[in-house]
Amino acid sequence: MSYEVMVGNKATAVGCKLARVRVAAVFPITPQTTITEYLSEIHASGELPGFEFVNAEGELSSQVIVQAATAVGARSFTCTSGPGLLYMHHPMQETASKRLPLVMAVVHRGVKSMQPDHSDLMSQQWQGWLHIYVENAQEILDTTVMAYKIAEDKRIRLPVAIGYDGYVLSYTAEPVEIPAQEEVDKFLPPYKPMPSILPDQVDPKTFGAGWGEGDPMKPWQMHHEAALNGETVIKEVFAEWGEKFGRTYGNGMIEPYRVEGADCVITAMGTIAGTATAAIDKLWADGKKIGLVKIRSFLPFPRKDFQEIAKSVGAIGVFDRSCQPGMWGPVYHQMRSTLYDEDKKVPIIGFIGGLSGKEVRVGDMYKIGEKTLKVAKGGKPEAPIQWV
Amino acid sequence: MSTQRMTRAQVPMEEMILAPGSTCQGCGAAMAARLTFKVLGPNLIRHGIPCCPDQVSKHPRAGAVFEGGGASLTGTARGLKALGRTDVKAVGFFGDGGTYDIGFQGLSAAAERNENILVITKDNEAYMNTGGQRSGGTPKYAETTTNPVGPNSRGKSEPKKNIPMIFAAHYVPYIATASVAFPEDLMQKVKYAKDIEGFRMILIQSPCPVGWRFDPAKTVELARAGVQAGVWPLYEIEHGTTFKLNYKPKELKPVSEYLKPQSRFRHMTEVEVNEIQASVTANWQRLLKADEMKTVVL
Repeated sequence: MSYEVMVGNKATAVGCKLARVRVAAVFPITPQTTITEYLSEIHASGELPGFEFVNAEGELSSQVIVQAATAVGARSFTCTSGPGLLYMHHPMQETASKRLPLVMAVVHRGVKSMQPDHSDLMSQQWQGWLHIYVENAQEILDTTVMAYKIAEDKRIRLPVAIGYDGYVLSYTAEPVEIPAQEEVDKFLPPYKPMPSILPDQVDPKTFGAGWGEGDPMKPWQMHHEAALNGETVIKEVFAEWGEKFGRTYGNGMIEPYRVEGADCVITAMGTIAGTATAAIDKLWADGKKIGLVKIRSFLPFPRKDFQEIAKSVGAIGVFDRSCQPGMWGPVYHQMRSTLYDEDKKVPIIGFIGGLSGKEVRVGDMYKIGEKTLKVAKGGKPEAPIQWV
Repeated sequence: MSTQRMTRAQVPMEEMILAPGSTCQGCGAAMAARLTFKVLGPNLIRHGIPCCPDQVSKHPRAGAVFEGGGASLTGTARGLKALGRTDVKAVGFFGDGGTYDIGFQGLSAAAERNENILVITKDNEAYMNTGGQRSGGTPKYAETTTNPVGPNSRGKSEPKKNIPMIFAAHYVPYIATASVAFPEDLMQKVKYAKDIEGFRMILIQSPCPVGWRFDPAKTVELARAGVQAGVWPLYEIEHGTTFKLNYKPKELKPVSEYLKPQSRFRHMTEVEVNEIQASVTANWQRLLKADEMKTVVL
């Protein structure tokens, strides 16, 4: 174990090294670029034996390269931001459909500006990946290693995207604890493809879109169930990490903060959760009992956790850092769908903020807390969804 | 360079092609697959992208998005290297669309990085999987379903993209053209390319009876006529410079012998045929000069 002050993007690269990634294929785009540089340094220095680093000519190819490398049995990594992720859209569906457990860092950059919001990763909800949003550099490093264990679990076998906010996290230096390689090796066993594509290990098979017999909807159902298994597996993997390395992030799916005894909760994802934490402390200091639930896994959505939380709170204020024009925020929708069938009806109000990098301050989150509390105490919201 | 043609006795007995396959009668690409994979043997991962025909061999097939041929091969080759399994070859069996058009960027990048991959392009000169639409590999005046002949159209108005020379200009170890009508030459080239380290590409002209509209019994004859007329010359280029013309008849046959049996060219006037003849002849002179100088001449 050692410590180093590093920026978020370096934490990603160090996480890849600890996970003993064998193939990385990348294409630079702000604010992800420095990950590609850190990885190229890891390759150039020879510190990660047998590591293949590919300078792809675009994001589409970088996604296809790591797909193929994962298929032959090499643990693989790629990363991108905003428009680069949109360019990857086409092959991304295949990565998930082929059940290839690779990991990708998505350093958030909005689709309307170069500044961060979650519109890039949110636009890929239908691709069949697991989406985990993280808040700080330590969480990036830890989650990168854990993501491989989650992705490669037999119950999942799906790619995992780790989203974190560009600039504010990608380029912010923080002290990070680097776990010892031997300990990580014990935690994360070598990757075995399932099934293997190597000619001496399989009967001839087609990998990818096939013309097979049987119910054509079956792969969809299996894929959906695998994604839902994420809820169980993510919790298991994070619990094991907590035991071995002494750091926990709630239960892996969510990270609650001062929820116990709170009259209501607000939610946040990514770096805004840090801002919200400060607001929550102020609110409690002012006698306003409001908790925070940081959503770590957006896909699968922490349904069970929120169904439990809803039993003890009077309202939920959902913060969305993306907006699907004409359909409001995706987290808001998930939350309402999650709690619709519950016996106790909890008011859910939506807040959309931080789009295109608009700054969200402690004061903004404080107000969101107050507004949610007002509704919890029987007040009417000004509007079901409000722009912050 | 592949010094001599493979003799019939040297041709492996084992068939790697899927039989019965899903191809049409007289499919040139099916012949290309049969000859190619006989030589390459079982120890490879075949990469497929949408193309016609695709389900051609018994190997494990790694499928990728249409534009992903070059990247998919790259990922396999790098993954195999990382795992120490370089005995397994990464081989692509792509069409002209996946090589000349939608797949060009990824293949060009793989060539520039000199990835350790073998690309076999079966060039049937149009998008045959979707019913014969124009591609960058379609020759001038050919009628396709998106180049119908009419008062405003004489078929395709542009010449075929010179893809072997474009890839040679990436300074890759090996580029070759081949024809299903010259199986010994084709197989020798595959055998030679098999064990070269780095980016290798073999372009095989693969007549398509459905798209080119000719008698499916005449596939080999037609392919032969194309080579003998100099429309599809057989050559090899190493490292972007060293050039060798593999088939040099004393005299080229007229292009009309190649064009006439194909209904995709039936609308061509004498003037248009003469234009093609002139461009083929000029190209042939350049190739002869290149062969003599042992270097690429553009």
